[in-house]
Amino acid sequence: MFDSTLHAAASEKPAKWRPVAEESRPVRVLLIALALGGLAVLVVAPLAVVFAEALARGAGQALASLTRPEATSAIRLTLIVAAISVPVNAVFGIAAAWTITKFDFRGKAFLITLIDLPFSISPVVAGLALVLLFGTNSLIGGWLVASGFPIIFALPGIVLASIFVTFPFVARELIPVMIEQGRAEEEAALTLGASGWRTFLTVTLPNIKWALLYGVLLCNARAMGEFGAVAVVSGKIRGQTATMPITIEMLYNEYLSVAAFSLAAVLAALGLLTLALKTVLEWRHADQLAATRRH
Amino acid sequence: MHIEIDEIAKSFGSTTALHPVSLAIPSGALVALLGPSGSGKTTLLRILGGLEFPTSGRVLFDGQDATGLTVQERRAGFVFQSYALFRHMTVFENIAYGLRARPRRSRPNRAEIGRRVTRLLDLIQLPQIGGRFPSQLSGGQRQRVALARALAIEPRMLLLDEPFGALDARVRKELRQGLREIHDSTGLTTVFVTHDQDEAMELADLVVVMSMGRIEQVGRPQDIRARPATPFVREFIDA
Amino acid sequence: MALAFRLQKSPMPGFGLGMGITLAMLSLIVILPVGALLARGISYGPEAVWATINTPRVWAALYLSFRLAFLAALVNLVFGTLLAWVLARYDFPGRRLVDALVDLPFALPTAVAGIALTALYAPNGVFGSIVRDLGGKVAYTQWGILIALIFVGLPFVTRTVQPVIAEIEQEVEEASATLGAGRFHTLRRVILPMLLPAALTGFALSLARAVGEYGSVIFIAGNLPMKTEIAPLLIVIKLEEFDYDGAAAIGIAMLLISFAMLLAINLIQIWSRRRIGHV
Repeated sequence: MFDSTLHAAASEKPAKWRPVAEESRPVRVLLIALALGGLAVLVVAPLAVVFAEALARGAGQALASLTRPEATSAIRLTLIVAAISVPVNAVFGIAAAWTITKFDFRGKAFLITLIDLPFSISPVVAGLALVLLFGTNSLIGGWLVASGFPIIFALPGIVLASIFVTFPFVARELIPVMIEQGRAEEEAALTLGASGWRTFLTVTLPNIKWALLYGVLLCNARAMGEFGAVAVVSGKIRGQTATMPITIEMLYNEYLSVAAFSLAAVLAALGLLTLALKTVLEWRHADQLAATRRH
Repeated sequence: MHIEIDEIAKSFGSTTALHPVSLAIPSGALVALLGPSGSGKTTLLRILGGLEFPTSGRVLFDGQDATGLTVQERRAGFVFQSYALFRHMTVFENIAYGLRARPRRSRPNRAEIGRRVTRLLDLIQLPQIGGRFPSQLSGGQRQRVALARALAIEPRMLLLDEPFGALDARVRKELRQGLREIHDSTGLTTVFVTHDQDEAMELADLVVVMSMGRIEQVGRPQDIRARPATPFVREFIDA
Repeated sequence: MALAFRLQKSPMPGFGLGMGITLAMLSLIVILPVGALLARGISYGPEAVWATINTPRVWAALYLSFRLAFLAALVNLVFGTLLAWVLARYDFPGRRLVDALVDLPFALPTAVAGIALTALYAPNGVFGSIVRDLGGKVAYTQWGILIALIFVGLPFVTRTVQPVIAEIEQEVEEASATLGAGRFHTLRRVILPMLLPAALTGFALSLARAVGEYGSVIFIAGNLPMKTEIAPLLIVIKLEEFDYDGAAAIGIAMLLISFAMLLAINLIQIWSRRRIGHV
């Protein structure tokens, strides 16, 4: 049955033969070059320019511009806004994800659509809506101003605008993860006599902590960098309601290029830090975040 | 078509999937490559189909060296373990795919494609399902559609990777019979991979028992059962 | 609303608290403000709203925003799919770094992107000077707006398509080859149709984002009425003139465009689920 006289001439792999589910090498190289070239022009160049312009007259000038009073007050305000809006959004995100994934109720799809709504509304329209609700010439706004608690052109308005534009971030990250994990572990904890809070803190939270952190990171980056919605509600009062992005605009329009780009560089560095942390999370906790990336 | 495997070896990096193996498959035979997972049977099937290139050795079709032929040139009807149906195409479009992929001058016209697909749907005894999507079919129906799709290109041989692996026991029995009938009516040289010795013994004319990248024994089912060549074969067919 | 979200019996605790927080926040942040916007439009009167929108300047701005957003989303559809393919399929040094960089437009504040792009494409900028030498102009023209919109929408298509590419079974591509199809035929007839629903979703997301984009555009746009004035800027101008009714009218028009796109995204997903069995 075996023809042993036929000697195995080691066949040369012909040039046309290549792995079936792959493009040829020149095609691969071309596509990689196109992708990297496009990304360099579109994304890397603007990033590089921020730092180049900030350092155009030396690091000393750049640092000095960051210690000007309008810069320090802008940094302080942005930190305060983030410190309020991010935890609020985290609590909302957890509550919404818990409600949506642990219970069955009518109108769930509609609720999710409502939560996602801020993603598809222009930040300027969001700011406008807040002005119309809380501005001095509205019913609620007039009363609030009269009671000494103005919202528009003040900190609360900036916080509300920041929460609006980051509204779905945490919930969006948590919902797919919690759907994937199901309800069995919580049900087990309950049958073992744990209270609702105890179940949440000892069973649910450890299971979602990395996804929660991931959502909080994205939420924070967006909250600190929001421009359009904040521009509308803040009134852009120098030293009082000018966040970092608003101050960047002011400085830029006054042709204070180094000062504007130095402040921009701080935000860009924050963005890069966010990306780095996000990437680390994606490597280390791919299992938990896998559900997120699929959606 | 007569297939000759001549001292084929294959390694992936430092792991050896196939030690040099040789095998002759007579024209029109229904052959089972039988063995546990990791025995090299799927690698051998993929080399026949042109999906892998051997590290050394040659493949001959009807005496002609076919080692360097690309997968497209081989015209081997291949049925994948997962069936690999195109889920965005209807059953009709799936079966017609190979005909439509031909260069224009050898491509049949629309009416001819329609006739051929209809004939194949009749052959697999599912004449009504041309308009459905794969997600709307049962496992057994998907397997038969995959078979029809492979037959549509008028293949020179039929290669099947665990064709019944994903099915439940009852459907499996039914489809075994179906494969036997299609083989007998087309007369195609057919090679299928299986880890199920009942399946191999019941269906095949010739059984090739493989283990650890080597061929342990080649023979007719009754001969292998009567005279296992090695302790491995004895143990494996008794299991 | 509490009736609409009526619960089916469950042993799990926390429905009241969770739903309470969710609805309270949703009302305060989203429903009441959007409601206030719509109410303003109603009190202003549909005819007056229409009269505000139906002026050449507003039409020009809406048309500009939508047309450039569409073009930017189209560029992102092609380039984003290419990027997703390269990142999912090819190995090259620095692939992970590149993968992380794709999200930069999400992480970089829009105002920062705006002044950076302007510095790059202004006539004395690195790219702008090249274009100027060739006799063209990018910043302060519609080209500048287009580039800013491409920038902000870049990650959407890549991030929706990349996981789908990763999920394609190799056997499907092999099956196509065993049936005689060349690699290009396989890409065109098998792989691209499988990516289409995700790519369209990414396209719609990118489009929705670009239509409403403000921060990255106003610096580079030049903001000339009828030429490079985007719709969100008109709202800001109306507000600065204390014309709240006018601002609300344009805001409602943009809101309707957003809703239409949201509907489109959902229809795409329903269509693909029905056809292929999942998104």
